[in-house]
Amino acid sequence: MSGKILLVGDGTLADHMQRYLTEQRMTVIPEDGGKEVEEIQAVVDVISGPAETKREHLIDVEARLPASVPIYSSTLHVCATRIASWLQEPGRLLGFSPLFPAEMEVQEVSRPLQAESDASWEEHLTFWTELGKKVEQVGGEPGLVFPRTFALLVNEAAFALQEGVASPEDIDLAMKKGTRFPHGPLEWADEIGIDEVLWILKGLFEELGEDRYRPASLLRRMVYAGYTGQRAGRGFYSYSKAAKKEISRV
Amino acid sequence: MKQSAGNRTAVTGAGTMGGGIAETLAKAGYPVVLYDIDKEALKRGIDAIQTRLDRRVKKGKMTATDAEELMGKIMPVTDRERLADVQLIIEAALERLDVKQELFAYLDDLTDQETILATNTSSLSVTEIASAATQHPERVLGLHFFNPAPVMPLVEVVSGVQTDPSVLDQAVAWMHDLGKSPVRVKDTPGFVVNRVARPFHNEAYRLVGDRVATKEQVDRVLRSAGFPMGPFELQDMIGIDINFAATTSVYDGMFQEPRFRPHPGQRAMVDSGAIGRKAGRGHYSYER
Repeated sequence: MSGKILLVGDGTLADHMQRYLTEQRMTVIPEDGGKEVEEIQAVVDVISGPAETKREHLIDVEARLPASVPIYSSTLHVCATRIASWLQEPGRLLGFSPLFPAEMEVQEVSRPLQAESDASWEEHLTFWTELGKKVEQVGGEPGLVFPRTFALLVNEAAFALQEGVASPEDIDLAMKKGTRFPHGPLEWADEIGIDEVLWILKGLFEELGEDRYRPASLLRRMVYAGYTGQRAGRGFYSYSKAAKKEISRV
Repeated sequence: MKQSAGNRTAVTGAGTMGGGIAETLAKAGYPVVLYDIDKEALKRGIDAIQTRLDRRVKKGKMTATDAEELMGKIMPVTDRERLADVQLIIEAALERLDVKQELFAYLDDLTDQETILATNTSSLSVTEIASAATQHPERVLGLHFFNPAPVMPLVEVVSGVQTDPSVLDQAVAWMHDLGKSPVRVKDTPGFVVNRVARPFHNEAYRLVGDRVATKEQVDRVLRSAGFPMGPFELQDMIGIDINFAATTSVYDGMFQEPRFRPHPGQRAMVDSGAIGRKAGRGHYSYER
């Protein structure tokens, strides 16, 4: 598969997506790619952060592209229907999970209420199946299935940590050896970014309005301090270029 | 007392967990007194260990001599006075506070105060077991093994409010000596594993209940993310009733903190008797 993709967003998720799409022999154009926006096959947006910022980016991108170009937008913390409502052509939007594109064979997508045309929806799905993904179309809440589950596991581990139940290393070890999680929740969070985890929780909390999604205050404080994980050099663990990860006392 | 190869150990309760823990201790070379008040239960426990060892011998994973030697280290008793004169006692009795408290009060009188008393509770408070029933609560701690105990590497070494830090250090050393991976945990509802795994199960019911995804989808997505099993197939294996009991116990232990609220969908499964593989049906159907 080859084609030009306009990638919107930066940070860890954009890095992961860029690497994945490039491996799939797609040409990835950055958002500020100027004239190169011609012949773009699709937009892939991985922005988290304030909904207003995401909205501004998507409105700007939509204005630069013909209506035929689909927009695939991360629904980690905003539901697909809300994102579609920002667009002139809401039917061009598909919501997806941007977590671990290279590792996960399954691709979670969600269909906004406004995407009423079955034909164009099927076309959107083709993009993902041609990448070799097994598509799972799930409901329209933020966080879909895996990001939502992942964020809640990290949140509970963060609550346990802030309450002094165990050390970060012991929490991670316990979940790997006691119930065969593929990664400890805290080291896993460092890989994706604490800020991303916090956005997912905030999005669920806002959309669903339930206390069960209330983020652990430790996550907020870590984001305030810039301890957002591997990319920042420090999260639940410290990362230096030479050394293995070490415990970071948060 | 420091752990050393000559030390004697004891396990109370010859059920699945007790038998598995006794096997683990014997495998590491420790003589084990295995106590159960019920003669039949004790026999079943011993037979279960023997069956497991026979299977390993048959598969060539163990020599017959080693299996015999291991069995020789386990001394089944129905008289609990025989629990005197050991260095470590791991209690794996019924998961009932009154049963455990009565036992710990007895052991406190019976044993030398250097003897470490451990409970394998998964859902009761170590502090409550220790303090309500013992003159020396500082030597009481939790040693939470996972099922099957001879196979699962993790042991949560649980510190009650009154547990002496040196007792914890000794227990950690014991667990390393058994070839286990011990983690140190404060006595709180669900400890680490049962607590942090709650959302994996609870949120799955929520996703299905709200029709965000089907059970099959949740399992497929989470397997693809690297979990060896999705939450629904995993619950079928564990037993949906067992999983529900863990959920309600953490919820109650946390005084109804909303994060841990069980989902009515899970209770309906339990009420209907569709509690997993052992019943032939659960979230999925299993041919008998």
